[in-house]
Amino acid sequence: MDVVSTVFSFAYQFGDAFAFLVISAAGLAVIFGMMGVINLAHGEFIMCGAYVTVAASRIGAPLPLAILCGALVAGLVGMAVERLVIRRLYHRPLDTIVATWGMSLIATQGTLIVLGSTMQGIGTPLGSVAIAGGAYSAYRLVLMAAAIALLVGLWLLFYRTRWGVLARATIQAPHMARALGVETGRVYGMTFGLGAALAGLAGGLYAPTMTMVPTMGATFIVESFVTVVVGGADIFLGAAPAAAILAVIRAGLTAWQGQLFGQIGLLLAVIVVIRLMPGGLSGWLAARARR
Amino acid sequence: MTRHNPARACALAATLALGGGAAMAQEPIKIGVLEDQSGDFAAATMVKVHAIELAAEEINAAGGIAGRPIELVVYDTQSDNRRYQEFMRRVLQRDKVDVVFAGFSSASREAYRPIVNQFDGLAFYNNQYEGGVCDANMIVTGAVPEQQFSTLIPWMMETYGKNVYTLAADYNFGQISAEWVRNIVAENGGTMAGEEFIPLGVSQFSQTIQNIQGAKPDFVVTLLVGAAQASYYEQAASAGVGLPMASSVNVGQGYEHKRFTPPSLKDMYVTTNYIEEIDTPASQAFIAKFKAKYPDEPYINQEAANSYIAMNLYKLMVERAGSTDREALRAEIAKGDVCFDGPSGNVCLDPKSQHMSHTIFLAKVEADHSITFPKVWENIAPYWLGEAGCDLTKNDPSEQYTPSNPPK
Amino acid sequence: MSAQDADLIDAAPVARSSLLRIWLGRLEGPQTFGRGPAFWAVAALVVVGAAVWPLFTDGYTVGNAAYFMVWTFMAMGLGVVWGYCGALSFGQTAFFGVAGYSYGVLTINIGDAYGFTLVALALSVVIAALVAAVIGYFMFFGRIKGVFVGIVTLSVTLVFETFMAQTAAPQWRIGDARLNGFNGMSGMPPLTVPWFGGDVVLYPDPPLFWVLLGLNVLVWLGLRMALNAPFGNVLVAIRENPERAEMLGYDVRVYQVIAFTLGGALAGLSGALYTAWGQYITPSSMGLTAAALPIVWVAVGGRSDITATLLGTLLVLAGFQTLTIYGSQYALVVMGALLLLVVLAAPQGVVLGAMRLLARLGGRGR
Repeated sequence: MDVVSTVFSFAYQFGDAFAFLVISAAGLAVIFGMMGVINLAHGEFIMCGAYVTVAASRIGAPLPLAILCGALVAGLVGMAVERLVIRRLYHRPLDTIVATWGMSLIATQGTLIVLGSTMQGIGTPLGSVAIAGGAYSAYRLVLMAAAIALLVGLWLLFYRTRWGVLARATIQAPHMARALGVETGRVYGMTFGLGAALAGLAGGLYAPTMTMVPTMGATFIVESFVTVVVGGADIFLGAAPAAAILAVIRAGLTAWQGQLFGQIGLLLAVIVVIRLMPGGLSGWLAARARR
Repeated sequence: MTRHNPARACALAATLALGGGAAMAQEPIKIGVLEDQSGDFAAATMVKVHAIELAAEEINAAGGIAGRPIELVVYDTQSDNRRYQEFMRRVLQRDKVDVVFAGFSSASREAYRPIVNQFDGLAFYNNQYEGGVCDANMIVTGAVPEQQFSTLIPWMMETYGKNVYTLAADYNFGQISAEWVRNIVAENGGTMAGEEFIPLGVSQFSQTIQNIQGAKPDFVVTLLVGAAQASYYEQAASAGVGLPMASSVNVGQGYEHKRFTPPSLKDMYVTTNYIEEIDTPASQAFIAKFKAKYPDEPYINQEAANSYIAMNLYKLMVERAGSTDREALRAEIAKGDVCFDGPSGNVCLDPKSQHMSHTIFLAKVEADHSITFPKVWENIAPYWLGEAGCDLTKNDPSEQYTPSNPPK
Repeated sequence: MSAQDADLIDAAPVARSSLLRIWLGRLEGPQTFGRGPAFWAVAALVVVGAAVWPLFTDGYTVGNAAYFMVWTFMAMGLGVVWGYCGALSFGQTAFFGVAGYSYGVLTINIGDAYGFTLVALALSVVIAALVAAVIGYFMFFGRIKGVFVGIVTLSVTLVFETFMAQTAAPQWRIGDARLNGFNGMSGMPPLTVPWFGGDVVLYPDPPLFWVLLGLNVLVWLGLRMALNAPFGNVLVAIRENPERAEMLGYDVRVYQVIAFTLGGALAGLSGALYTAWGQYITPSSMGLTAAALPIVWVAVGGRSDITATLLGTLLVLAGFQTLTIYGSQYALVVMGALLLLVVLAAPQGVVLGAMRLLARLGGRGR
């Protein structure tokens, strides 16, 4: 294999792992990283988005529209959940574990009862493309572009729009925000809804590549949590670079020694990174900036 | 969808018994059913419970087992090994059933086997698995590697070529099956282009796909287990891998050809002892009965057929032995002619291992995901355990053996 | 004789008995619920009732109750680490698994003669405690705190699970004991107590029930004493405000590691007992679902009090099992709904809330 194809194949593997981590962690980065809610039902929001996407696609909607539908429905469900349950738990974050675990049980079992144990999927669009001597799935390149677009879009949203500034202010200093007349309840609801919608987006984007079962969220949850925690509170200073670092480790180990090493290596890397940087990446970066 | 709880099952059996025929005041035969009706494995196991209920209803309508009605005691084990331990204890000690039909994953079987041994019970394991259980308390109706691979791999090597890549789930079933494949490939003069083991729960296969494309095998043996790992097929198809695939575990158990969009499973070959596409008269009669009782059943897989057959085998054994005592039943099996004509043809229990012989169907998935049957092998016996030294007519080691860890 | 000499002579015997009295006095205190003769009378009644109960019920129910009592140690350990010390450990199942496999390896290799299974039980707990100490040192001396403790411990237990799940090949063995990967290790003997005229094998029936009941009571009393001692006070201080505890001169990290080791040892006790009970241990015992369960038990029972944790765990285990038996496919939905309800309606824990209510009605307690 010549240099170009080796380089491209490693870049592809890295991009693929990076996209997976970023897309699956984005929603959790908002809900957990920004709001401090430990959302064990994150996988179920992903499942919701995936199922809605597949259902919409089956009745004829083009895939991009179906994915947006999935994200939207997940976001609405998230807002309802926030209003009914999460709102009472902001001052006791560790209780959100039990509450969201309960919701996860209800969601997976409920889906199993209502929709059956499996749902027919939709095929992956766009076929394969030959680059530098190897055949690659074109859709996965689209996913990589989507991950970058997601990061850019979120940055614009949180740093360049009025709503984004209000959201960040409300989460960092709720009393001040309230004193300045911001309706914090609505802002919390919308932010949580955004996080849920991002999870639904992840589900919709990956739905064409996976099997549709009620427990499909489980495959995302560990990676999302470790990415967000390694990243720290800030989604851009933290989760994105964390995804990049973990993706390099994961892709490298998998290419070198196989999936088992990749999986274990990822988890060990998490332990080491947290040990070296107890505040997560963004905490470490912020500390350096202050010096 | 039927709700399963002991009260309702009892009532159902009792009603059937009353309407069934003469001499129904006899004590019922209690059969415990421990299957995963929720959790990760529910997709492939709910149909097993339905098959058992169908068989019980049929047998009761015809007068029961030696005049005694069947009473099912059903528990949902939630795809959790601990529930298997808890409920096996309950079903043997409290409900005092005569036999148990239990287990999907091999881990669940290994979790409940010590308990069955402790209480001297009898359990049917109706799933395909990696083979090797030599235990007098177990009767296995599922297919084992020598039945599935010794038919599949030589055929694939003859048809497509001798360079083989194995992709297997990284646990006992996958590793042992891969060992079988390796041995058979070597015996038939082939080469292994590569072997890759994937931890359970992994769903992203980009690197694996690249490895396969680089190794350029003639065909890929896929031994992937679980919904997450099944995502490989979609991803491989969209990356244009285009190689024929051979499997012992897909299609026949999790009906992937119905769940995935065509043509992701094109050119997949599976050796199974039963799938609903088989159109022999026996199979069609079975399917007609099944769909009459369960019209919404997504798919009738090999485990459903095995469970149905197991119920009928049990009836046969009890009627011939004249009791439900385990040693009496084992004596019947030892005679070597406990056979039944079921949906998949004629099957018999092997005395040395208490496993079942099978007719093995080679199923090919076409581009539109329809099934054709290029080949059928009749009466493949589960020969490996007997040849390796397990003989349950003489002693009971209660162990699980593998090719690299045979009986001493 | 001077007054001082008289005091010195008097002091000696008093010093010895007052040590015992100090420790007995720690059975009640500010960190645990319940004090006074009424509380202890009720407790004694419960224990005696539980001890006599097997005589009035069938073998299965007793064995099932014994099974529930295997898990309480893990819950109490998590109660110490999370409820009292404030560190949410998501990985207690790692120590559960380590001890379970240790028990398996030791007893398969050495057998059950001369009561070795009991020695193996103790050794497994020690091994689990050592592993917990190492991980605790790594975490707490690295100043890892808050939710990061949860993530690191979760990663540890998942690494163990992923690694053990692929050890199916025959070269993965320690002595005679094959690790056997995902299918799990079996073939280890149950707890066997050496006795005159024949060993007593502790299968799940009344003898095992009494042994576990005794162990539970001992651990409960021991924890009460430890938590009401200055050690427990420091743990609670760390939970409430670590910087203040530090400023008062306590090395917070040392106390956290000790609490974590204690929690790990108790989780290991559960693990070894589970393995002996079912003669089986599997990597799924260290997986994500298994890791979340102790948190659910402790949260529902009441994490800030060890008695509530103990009772709550038994309640949740029995409740969930009953739901599964009679609720068929709706069981998991009802469980989820119950968890939501508990968190919203009884945040300090159902059992703790009930105990406090009873105490208020009775005019005693905290």
